[in-house]
Amino acid sequence: MIRRSAHLKYPLSTPFALPFPSFLDRGSLAVIFLLSFVGGVKADSISSPTPVTPAASSSGKPHFTPAQIEFFEKRIRPVLSENCYECHTGANAKNGLELDYRDGWVRGSDYRKIIDLKTPSRSVVILAVSHSGEKGIPSMPNKREKLPTETVGLLQEWIAMGLPWPEEAPRKRESVDPLQHWSFQPVKVPALPADAGNPIDWFIHRAQTAAGVNSAPRADRATLYRRLSFDLLGLPPRYQELRAFVDDPRPDQIVWAELVDRLLDSPHYGERWARLWMDVARYADTKGYEGGGVERRFIYSYTYRDWLIRAFNEDLPYDKFLLYQIAAEQLVDSAGPDRRHLAAMGFLSLSRNGSQEDILDDRIDTTFRGTMALTVSCAKCHDHKSDPIPTRDYYGLYGIFLNSLTVDTPTIGDPPKTPEYEKYAKELAVKQKEIDELLQAAIEIAKKENPTLAKNPAALRNKVDPETRKKLRELEGKRDKFVADSQMDADKAIILRDRDQPINQHVFIRGNPGRPGELAPRQFLSLVADNGEARPFTQGSGRLEMAKAITAPSNPLTGRNIVNRVWMWHFGEGIVRSIDDFGHTGERPDHPELLDWLADYFLRSGSSFKKLHRLILTSDTWTQQSSNPKTEANMLVDAENRLLWKYKKRRLEFEQMRDAMLDVAGNLDLALFGRPVEILASGYQNRRSVYAFIDRQNLNPAFRNFDFSNPQETTGKRPNTTIPMQALFTMNNTFVMDQAEVLARQTDQASDRIAALHHAVFAKDPTAYDRKMAEGFLSDFQRASEVAGKRQTNTEWSYGWGDIDADTGKVSFHSFPVWKGNRWQVGQESPLKDNPLSYLSIDEKGSGHPGYTNQESLVHEWRSPADLRIGVRGEIRRPNVGKGNGVRVKLASSSRGNLFDKVLEASQEAMSVTLPEVKLAKGECLYFIVDPRDKDSSFDSITWNPRIVDLDGHWPAWSLVDSFSGPAIPATPWGAYAQALLNANRFLFID
Amino acid sequence: MKSMKAPYSRRSFLHRAGMGMGALGLAPLLSELQGAGSNGPNPLAPRKTHFPARAKRVIHIFANGGPSHVDSFDYRPMLEKYDGKEMPGEQLRTERKTGTLMKSPFPFRQRGESGLWISDLFPKLAELADDLCIVNSMYANVPNHEPSLMLMNTGAERINLVRPSVGSWVSYGLGTENANLPAFVSLCPGGVPIVETQNWRSAFLPGAFQGAHIDTKNTQISKLIPDIRNPRMSLDLQRRQIDLVQAMNREDEGSANDYDADAEARIHSLELAYKMQMEATDVFNVELEPAHVRELYGDTLHGRQMLVARRLIERGVRFVQVWHGAGQPWDSHNEIAKAHGELGKQADQPIAALLIDLKQRGLLEDTLVLWGGEFGRTPTVELPTPGANGPNTKLGRDHNHHGFSMWLAGGGVKGGYRFGSTDDFGFKAQENPVHVHDLHATILHLLGFDHQKLTYHYAGRDYRLTDVYGSVIRDWMA
Repeated sequence: MIRRSAHLKYPLSTPFALPFPSFLDRGSLAVIFLLSFVGGVKADSISSPTPVTPAASSSGKPHFTPAQIEFFEKRIRPVLSENCYECHTGANAKNGLELDYRDGWVRGSDYRKIIDLKTPSRSVVILAVSHSGEKGIPSMPNKREKLPTETVGLLQEWIAMGLPWPEEAPRKRESVDPLQHWSFQPVKVPALPADAGNPIDWFIHRAQTAAGVNSAPRADRATLYRRLSFDLLGLPPRYQELRAFVDDPRPDQIVWAELVDRLLDSPHYGERWARLWMDVARYADTKGYEGGGVERRFIYSYTYRDWLIRAFNEDLPYDKFLLYQIAAEQLVDSAGPDRRHLAAMGFLSLSRNGSQEDILDDRIDTTFRGTMALTVSCAKCHDHKSDPIPTRDYYGLYGIFLNSLTVDTPTIGDPPKTPEYEKYAKELAVKQKEIDELLQAAIEIAKKENPTLAKNPAALRNKVDPETRKKLRELEGKRDKFVADSQMDADKAIILRDRDQPINQHVFIRGNPGRPGELAPRQFLSLVADNGEARPFTQGSGRLEMAKAITAPSNPLTGRNIVNRVWMWHFGEGIVRSIDDFGHTGERPDHPELLDWLADYFLRSGSSFKKLHRLILTSDTWTQQSSNPKTEANMLVDAENRLLWKYKKRRLEFEQMRDAMLDVAGNLDLALFGRPVEILASGYQNRRSVYAFIDRQNLNPAFRNFDFSNPQETTGKRPNTTIPMQALFTMNNTFVMDQAEVLARQTDQASDRIAALHHAVFAKDPTAYDRKMAEGFLSDFQRASEVAGKRQTNTEWSYGWGDIDADTGKVSFHSFPVWKGNRWQVGQESPLKDNPLSYLSIDEKGSGHPGYTNQESLVHEWRSPADLRIGVRGEIRRPNVGKGNGVRVKLASSSRGNLFDKVLEASQEAMSVTLPEVKLAKGECLYFIVDPRDKDSSFDSITWNPRIVDLDGHWPAWSLVDSFSGPAIPATPWGAYAQALLNANRFLFID
Repeated sequence: MKSMKAPYSRRSFLHRAGMGMGALGLAPLLSELQGAGSNGPNPLAPRKTHFPARAKRVIHIFANGGPSHVDSFDYRPMLEKYDGKEMPGEQLRTERKTGTLMKSPFPFRQRGESGLWISDLFPKLAELADDLCIVNSMYANVPNHEPSLMLMNTGAERINLVRPSVGSWVSYGLGTENANLPAFVSLCPGGVPIVETQNWRSAFLPGAFQGAHIDTKNTQISKLIPDIRNPRMSLDLQRRQIDLVQAMNREDEGSANDYDADAEARIHSLELAYKMQMEATDVFNVELEPAHVRELYGDTLHGRQMLVARRLIERGVRFVQVWHGAGQPWDSHNEIAKAHGELGKQADQPIAALLIDLKQRGLLEDTLVLWGGEFGRTPTVELPTPGANGPNTKLGRDHNHHGFSMWLAGGGVKGGYRFGSTDDFGFKAQENPVHVHDLHATILHLLGFDHQKLTYHYAGRDYRLTDVYGSVIRDWMA
């Protein structure tokens, strides 16, 4: 329930007619109380202040006698105007303190009250203008003399009178009361007619009708099956299952509802939906940057991910889902069967590394943007410009997290009873013992040096000498690395625990810990206080109480936030498009009544995700086509499809795409749960992408290229980009090509191979046109591959030996048979003993060696990919200057013979080898020849990176080094065909 | 390769709709993109400008984080006089608390024939003062990185307001002269700046106009652009494969009612990716430059990156943004002498080399080079704010959007010219203040576009880069 509270930056016209917030300590509460009811005060003298009697007028507004007002006008207002107004008026008032109207005085600064009615002389303002010099009290007026004693006395009198001020039109800082903002209002459940059908459709159709927009017809069964499969499971449909669904003779409504239920029951549903929530939880398997020697991996992060998968599969009610993630350690018995829920706290504990403030800020941000779509972090440094979240509230939350520590990782699963585990445990014990002994010894010393701290081990640890501390850090780092690497440890949960003795938190003025302001009690946001007032939390850090306040049914933001997110996960856009910003800078809901209706429905149906899915997925709105016959007209009215007049076609998300590629190739490992694995780089595993090792600092670029969520902070909505790097991945990445070849091989026994591939990839039969295209491609590709012949490499280059015949000008060429390391050579051993081929080889840097005689010259062959007019550039180097007899460098083409012939003398280090211009026909070869010269190949190591440039500028340059490659693993025609299917929009998009 | 089952082809749909399509929201999209892929005109084909262009391409050197103008291009002698003293007059709010005025640790000198004042933070660049048009009176709206980056890059500071980036607008207006490379490339070493890909997004403009980010920390082409080569298929064979894919994609397009901008954008990007394989390996390989050119730029990350920028624009890329680094490197809240000193050393020679090189090649004439950050820094010293900047902060400067400097060179702007000024201390733009919108309007003008007419029809209205703001500053033009 939203309450207006008087302390807010934006006083309402009758600020004191409402219950007070209780976040203030008793003293200041009394101040407000008194101030608020000063109405009815009688005073008959300007000079002698009258004691204040609390009494409210009927209107709740304070009343003052003419004498009091006169006192103010004559004695006080001039003082204020001369000394305060310069800095403390208007929107840019210093520290948010406005002193030119009464409510400004009552409210105080962004950080504290400035007056104390009971003891006016202790008012902050009085201490300030008298330059008391007390800690935390600035001297005012800024950079000027203190006010004269008599003036200070007058101010005190005025305060004691209850701040007489003539009645003025109520002043507001903003023309609109921010508390009236839509998202802070209670959820209102609109009434629906009895025959409304699916309420989603009722609301959407009503909006469409009003705008003159038509929704699209229902999509066909095959399309819907595929859409649903990716939506709920993140996996492609299987052909046979899809056929059975399409051919089911029963009516659409019945078979569809059945299918939705069946997929919701699949264990893979939890994998897909856990990953969506992991975006919110900025999930990662590493902490971020860490100092040297400290283990960067979390080790047990995966238990949180696995908990999420189970939670979704079990349809854990959303309130419990959140309560466990925020405060499980206070809700479950860590020895009982429910201890698995401890892992839920990864939501808070898997935060990114940084200073204490950064970590706590990240936890606050993730919690409140994640669960309530509120950006409270801005209140860290100043009262929120547009959202009614005062700085005090931020530090109230900060105090909760400040008192929640990561101290231990309780075991939640049993270790394997294997000999390997025993061995691991023993080894770990040795490492631990070493640490314990070192620590114990150091602590004993510290104890003697600091007897006062004898009973505080944590403090003692800080007193340990730096040398030992360094050693300890090193040993602990090694231990953690051992645990992480061995992957043997029992499942554990990374949890938070409350501090035994909670520390109180002060507001930091302008976010500066060096300027502590008033105490900020640990409590909930005053704006969404349960039961109308934010009382300070009393249990430990208050984290559990905070969790309960978040999940309280009366909290309108929590319900709206989650139904909006679920909506986005189904439709691609939220009803509120600014997913994690329901504040003033965010968007308004496109369908406010529907949003409220859904929030209420969600609550009424036991906060069940699965019930909400069912409602959405069985709506006409979700099951309509992605194409609409009225597109032209609808676009004019609503180009952004806010009225949902079609289903928005969506590109597969990164995880969906990768999983689908593996799955259609029959390669996907569907095992559930477990430690994170590498999913793309060499040695990748075929597990689902949700099990990917997420390295916060160093994510594989493919993740970002495909718009994966940023693991540094909570993500509302992933970006949606189309860049050539995505296409390069699907065209060239070895992972994709591997799946394509496997897929092709799987169908090599099929009687109708084209159909088999289409069934696997699209779960559809190929059309006649598909077949025609396929057949054309396959024969064409086959022929082109044959023409190209079996090549040594996949590039234009081949490497080997031979020579140019002096008479015919023809080049003999033998390609190297052996690829070893990064080098082409003649045999497994190099050099070959007593063999004229001897040292012949070439490596990736262009360094090589000829054989004994000109017959065994080192030769690079380059085959022209087109009819070209080219030039040759480059320089050959022979490092062994002055030794041997140099080399002879020749260039030749297969049709023209010798083009270049020049000796690099032993005395020379380098020689440029260029051809200004030569024409080559497609398929013609150019040869780069290094002759050892006069049968003396000693010291003839050379380095040569010849470049070929297209003089007409159509082709990029070819350089030996850039295109150097090992043996060709040629793509097969069927493999290339399968890969083409994986590259088609009809595979990569959900229709 | 159209199947008969499609009720009507895209082309015939357009034909049927005739001129009437101009009023439709989707008309520009369809006409731009029809035939993208294997047939028809390229959406990135160069367009006709509104008037003769002075510049044909842009290199935007983004000193992200907020470079200090009073330590680089804005000489404020009063700052030395008032060093350590309170700033008289108006107190302006910035992100954090600041204290007294602090003089620059970098001595200023008059440079070139023009006598422009430039500090020793950029000694080599300073030698080219006569080519620079220094604007000392820039201002933005707020002292925070995220909104200011959005403002500088998209003209709209609210992050939720999805607006295309300047580079996307320029690519939309100018197209590309090289179908083998993206029209808009964003070079950033070591990762991405804050607010990430939003800095170069195309928003509602077609995806083909989105900036392609390249992590220039990598030197090997295979890491610079992952998967740039196919290990198992020649380009010739791959061409056949891509043709098949595009044929299937065209087959699936169906009627205009099935039109989907993302699916269409993918068709284009597949084509671009294929062509990039041929061109990109070359364009990013600075080893192909002669030794004296490489020496000019210096064999450093920033030298290589700046050289890549030149190679890109030389090959017809329209807009290259060169970021100093991931995150916000120029954000020197602490020890500005040291922090800025380091950054200056990294950036100075490469930027100077770029200008010299462009000039020698005759490219500076019609290439607009732009340097600056999302805002500047305070002339006052930042006070320690533990939690925000650490308790030991000293001798740094806070963000300052009230006044900052940028410079332009080439592309039809005056050289050796200084425009506008801040107050005596460099806090606030005073004489001839230039808002970011004005900068955008002027950039478009130099490229031959009336910023009020370069619009894109979307969701029922015409959008433009400058929204309803922006004035062209003719004083800058040569």
